[in-house]
Amino acid sequence: MQTSIKGTYQLAGRSESHPASAIIFETGQVIIQHLNGESIMDVWPDNYQFSDVIPGLAVDLVLADGALFVPHDKSYRWPQLTSSNLLAEWLESHWLVVLSSVLVVPLFLWSMVNYVLPGAAHAAVAFLPDSIAESMGEQTLYILDKTQFDPSELDAKQQQHVSQLWQRITTQLELPDDKYQLHFRKFDLGANAMALPDGSIIVTDDIVTLMKDDPDALLSVLLHEVGHVEHQHSLKMIAQTTATTMLFAMMFGDIDGAGELILGAGTGLLQTAFSRDMEREADEFSHQNLPAFNISPAAFADAMTLLANSHSLSDDEESANENSDEDVSDNEDQQEIKRKIMHWLQYLSSHPETQERIDTARKKGEENSELL
Amino acid sequence: MENGLSSDRTDFVKFSGKSGEYFKLWFVNMFLSIITLGIYSAWAKVRDTQYMYGHTSVDDNSFRFLATPMQILKGRIVAVIIFIIYMALSQMSPALSIVMALAFLVAFPWLIIQGIKFSMRMTAYRNVRFSFEGTYGGVIVHFILLPILGAITLYLAMPWVVQQIQQYMHNNITYGGKHFEQKSSAGQYYIAVLFSVGIALIGGAIIAAFGGTAIAAADGGLSLGLVFVGLASFALFGIVNAVYQSIIYNHLMATLEIENVVSFDAQMKTLPFAILVLTNILLIVVTFGLAIPVVKIRTSRYIASVTQVTIKPGINELINTVEGSDSALGEEAAGLFDSDLSII
Repeated sequence: MQTSIKGTYQLAGRSESHPASAIIFETGQVIIQHLNGESIMDVWPDNYQFSDVIPGLAVDLVLADGALFVPHDKSYRWPQLTSSNLLAEWLESHWLVVLSSVLVVPLFLWSMVNYVLPGAAHAAVAFLPDSIAESMGEQTLYILDKTQFDPSELDAKQQQHVSQLWQRITTQLELPDDKYQLHFRKFDLGANAMALPDGSIIVTDDIVTLMKDDPDALLSVLLHEVGHVEHQHSLKMIAQTTATTMLFAMMFGDIDGAGELILGAGTGLLQTAFSRDMEREADEFSHQNLPAFNISPAAFADAMTLLANSHSLSDDEESANENSDEDVSDNEDQQEIKRKIMHWLQYLSSHPETQERIDTARKKGEENSELL
Repeated sequence: MENGLSSDRTDFVKFSGKSGEYFKLWFVNMFLSIITLGIYSAWAKVRDTQYMYGHTSVDDNSFRFLATPMQILKGRIVAVIIFIIYMALSQMSPALSIVMALAFLVAFPWLIIQGIKFSMRMTAYRNVRFSFEGTYGGVIVHFILLPILGAITLYLAMPWVVQQIQQYMHNNITYGGKHFEQKSSAGQYYIAVLFSVGIALIGGAIIAAFGGTAIAAADGGLSLGLVFVGLASFALFGIVNAVYQSIIYNHLMATLEIENVVSFDAQMKTLPFAILVLTNILLIVVTFGLAIPVVKIRTSRYIASVTQVTIKPGINELINTVEGSDSALGEEAAGLFDSDLSII
């Protein structure tokens, strides 16, 4: 049994070519000859391989020296081709495969983003040395001081007042003094507190003034920030964002156009989703530790309410503040509509809905009072 | 018997790719890349390029893409590691990341050259490979200094700058060790710019006049007028773009050759190309990007159908001068940092 096919013999390393035919034997032997029957090559499987099998294209016989035999019949598939040679082409030419991948991809992405990546990122963070968190914290504070913050304008008495609250926290939770540091700063964008990965907690002048009559609320906010540090949220966020960006870049980077879109929008949305989960975790840290200070978790609800009101006030003054996601409207009807919108906007926000956080804290407060 | 020719042979480029066939290939490869966390994308890239090259033929010989998936995968892994270090540094130590960004800036022209060199050397026609011989200095001059010059002359020199860049790219491509020669003239670039700016201004004025009337006449129900203005601006953009592209493409092809080996000619027409580009955009938007493979096939088919290649006797004596297998690092690093350059 032997088959003969017509094609072109392309010399190795030069542009010269000749019309030729190939005779294929069952043993795998191939004889390439001129059309007049004069033999050019007599090769065995050790001395040739095949080019990739691509839909609609001829499969070239590639000789060891680089010469080619290209069959004229583009649909010709050599009998020596194994099923693994043909697999990719088979997959690429069936609509059924296309359809089933449409179903599998979303499922796969969902599980990666929700389970695999966060798990991997959290595991990786445990191996990072403390020095990384320290230098990150120092550099971030340095940059914020240069760009966003001014020195605090609070008087010594006010600072003293907050420092005492802070002292209560570090003593009660046995936090190491050399790691946890409290900083006072003036910040134009309003009442806020933030935590840096090295344990630096920053309170703005506005939040101290806002909560001067409600030390329990301020303490609950400080606990929330300690929660961020204890849970290593900054590092986890970086690990998670880096992992997701890399994953998306690797998966979609090759797809023209789609790459940028998915990378930009996708990772942005995911980052805010991670961030919301972390805020919830920090809230919970605050709720759990407040009873140790004989304070109800409801104090956190009070703090959130105060913050929300202060931000909505400044919103009214400045008409629009893009950074403010903690926003409460005065009008009852509007409030309902606004809450529905906020519910959907949540997916774009880095913090959970304020009302949700307040409700959760209140509920914790009630549960707690039942226990007491 | 030799497949030789004693006189010139002129024919259009043939493109035999089919939308449905390529869509399946593209989609399945995307799927396999995703579920293998991107590892398969090296194979996907090779198969994708092999499909496009293999379906493009001149004088009954098709192009071949010679890169192996492993070459691309290795380049990609190194690029990914560099990228991870960069991302991590930029978060943890802004100071160090600036140093790294500067180092990257210095390495950037080299990466561009390596990237172009790789894709050229991996392209073969009739068992003879292409190559690229651009130099670090040449890339600095053409991609950094000249554009700055173009900007400080209030863009008056820009058409000349673009002409210089494209000429530089073409002149440094070799085939079988022979340089392409691009004898384009800056004058054609100025003509292309003048024509397209002129049409943009006239078209813009007409749209403003008609659109203004339509919006005023609609009196509150401004949707119809706005739709008209939107569609007309979209069509105008397509035409202006096509005017420039077709003048430049036809000119570039007419002035490109390898002496006694190959010369080119093109008859790209403004209106068909404008319609192609506009329908491509609509297709991509309407299908949320799923039509990208269809668009690639349509575009390749059109470009091939207006491009003529004249093969000259000298092509039979060419000997391949490119050996060995390079690393794809340059191309992959440049791609990952989003700095891919298209040559034409």
